[in-house]
Amino acid sequence: MAYEIKLEHRTARIELLNRAGNKVLLAVDDLKYDLDVVMVEKGVYSILYNGQSYNVELIEGESRKEYIVNTMTRSFVAEIIDAETKYLHNRLQGTEHKGENDISSPMPGKIVKIPVSVGETVTAGQTLIVVEAMKMQSEFKASADRIVKEILVNEGDTVNAHQIMMKVE
Amino acid sequence: MIRKVLIANRGEIAIRVMRSCRELGLVTVGVYSEADRKSMHVRYADEAYCIGPAPSRESYLNIDNIIDAAKKSGADAIHPGYGFLSENAAFSDRCKQEGIIFIGPSAHSIATMGDKITARLTMTKAGIPVVPGTTEKITDENMALEIAGMIGYPLMIKASAGGGGKGMRLVRDHNEMLPFFRTAKSEAMNAFGDDSVYIEKYIESPHHIEFQILADRQGHVIHLFERECSIQRRHQKVIEETPSPLMTPELRDEMGKFAIAAAKAVNYEGAGTIEFIVSDALEYYFLEMNTRLQVEHPITERVVGVDLVKEQINIANGLPLTLKQEELRQDGHSIQCRIYAEDPDQNFMPQPGLVTHITVPLGLGVRYDGYVYEGYEIPMHYDPLISKLITWGKTRPEAIARMRRALYEYKITGVKTNIKFLERIMDVPDFIDGKYNTHFIEKNNDRLFTPKSCGTECEDMAMIACFIDYLDKIEKVQPQKSSEGFSSTWKDFGRKKSVLRL
Repeated sequence: MAYEIKLEHRTARIELLNRAGNKVLLAVDDLKYDLDVVMVEKGVYSILYNGQSYNVELIEGESRKEYIVNTMTRSFVAEIIDAETKYLHNRLQGTEHKGENDISSPMPGKIVKIPVSVGETVTAGQTLIVVEAMKMQSEFKASADRIVKEILVNEGDTVNAHQIMMKVE
Repeated sequence: MIRKVLIANRGEIAIRVMRSCRELGLVTVGVYSEADRKSMHVRYADEAYCIGPAPSRESYLNIDNIIDAAKKSGADAIHPGYGFLSENAAFSDRCKQEGIIFIGPSAHSIATMGDKITARLTMTKAGIPVVPGTTEKITDENMALEIAGMIGYPLMIKASAGGGGKGMRLVRDHNEMLPFFRTAKSEAMNAFGDDSVYIEKYIESPHHIEFQILADRQGHVIHLFERECSIQRRHQKVIEETPSPLMTPELRDEMGKFAIAAAKAVNYEGAGTIEFIVSDALEYYFLEMNTRLQVEHPITERVVGVDLVKEQINIANGLPLTLKQEELRQDGHSIQCRIYAEDPDQNFMPQPGLVTHITVPLGLGVRYDGYVYEGYEIPMHYDPLISKLITWGKTRPEAIARMRRALYEYKITGVKTNIKFLERIMDVPDFIDGKYNTHFIEKNNDRLFTPKSCGTECEDMAMIACFIDYLDKIEKVQPQKSSEGFSSTWKDFGRKKSVLRL
């Protein structure tokens, strides 16, 4: 069994060579690892390698193949790249900047203000929507000169993370 | 005497106050908004009452609903915590009218200190140094220019009703004065509905140092030394410590006396904080008074050995202070880090969400004031503060080393936090040497926003964990499919059997 894994800007191929209980033998690219791997708590892995103790925490991302990985020193975004992912990546490159015209919020919040209306021409840097979460307001601005195509929320609405609030073109 | 206390707050501070109440044998009453039904303070309290919908304005800031809850529960006192209604003069007054003890100062003290221009005037009269500047509201543009010339540049324009950096402008020279005067006024109008502004001399490389005071009804006032709060982002404190690395015994004594005089000037009662701005040359000026318990109060408690909430309750009961100024001393060194649900790499954008896993640091010299537990969803309606981590050491280096250790142990998954950012601060030479002012984060920007490397082997381990997790996830799905196959065979068998039986 082998998969390519993308960790931020680095991609490596991991192959499982042998597995018996906690004992795992695998190869990361050309480097072989003889490890003791155990999930100690939900999403938390303890890995022993050459007497070194590593703790790695995983949070599943938007799909089951995406993870946010926390090591003891830093946090990464990781993705499992299998045949399906590769196919999707190739297909997405074909379509033009998919999603770039959708304005969504990375965190849940409340719509404070929508200073634009449908059909309006906006210039790069102009504020399209203001979202408030935890007493802080964030302004979402147009990345380039655009036309507001559709507004999917109202002032006072609550939005979830990654919910599309507005479409521009 | 107070028997039952309603805590008009949420989050870590509600729990912190309830802890002291419990030690004093007092019954605790929690209040919560509809978004906070699962919040820890509701579970910790002896009684809990819903006070309205999620937005603060309709719940934690709703005076009528809180008074109702107090009456329903028979609470004889209300502790406001910090934030929300803690510095609301009308609330203090209302409690008094309803015959409920407000654990805090009188409406008069709150109102005097709440308006910055009135506070400046009162302090000047009491002989306390304030930052050179105007003591009146400035409306006329010519007058603004004239005064600016007298004070000298650089200077600050500030909103009288201000706070949180709104309506505040740094003016470097004469040409900037009028445009900035106008924007500060309109910003103040938008933010506070009041466009009064005043002008102050700008202190280069300022330190933010505050003094904790306690005042009883009998008129005794003591100070519990200083807290250094210069490490700030967006005008909000991130790390506090005591004693301040900048302080000398003489300066401490002098500033402490002024802090006491400031409290006396407004007939203060309860726990309060006098904030000073201090220059590198150790010139100090009164900045403002916070008429409540501060977020950073635990470091004072740790070093002085006093439970400030218990003192607040005793004072509210009308008891005289038992602590004597000459008997107080600072034992060792204490540091507090504020853990926020926010992303330091995205301009500290708040990150509400579900906490999937949490490991809290423990061990010698560590105090943890928090309220978040596994499976708790941090709501988007309130402050992003998750917890406060407080360490103590015999010396400053020991307290720093302990904080570094505690931050290393502290793990929260599911939401992004500033834990790693705080860890990086612990390694900055300016911080280690205690040579920093309010420009610290800006000055050390490069260092603070570059993540620590975890090395190739550590990266490999991160990938391996994903790999193993993904393999197991796929395997879990596959046996289910095959077991469906089995069950249909059993079904067939069952059907055949019943047919045969017929």
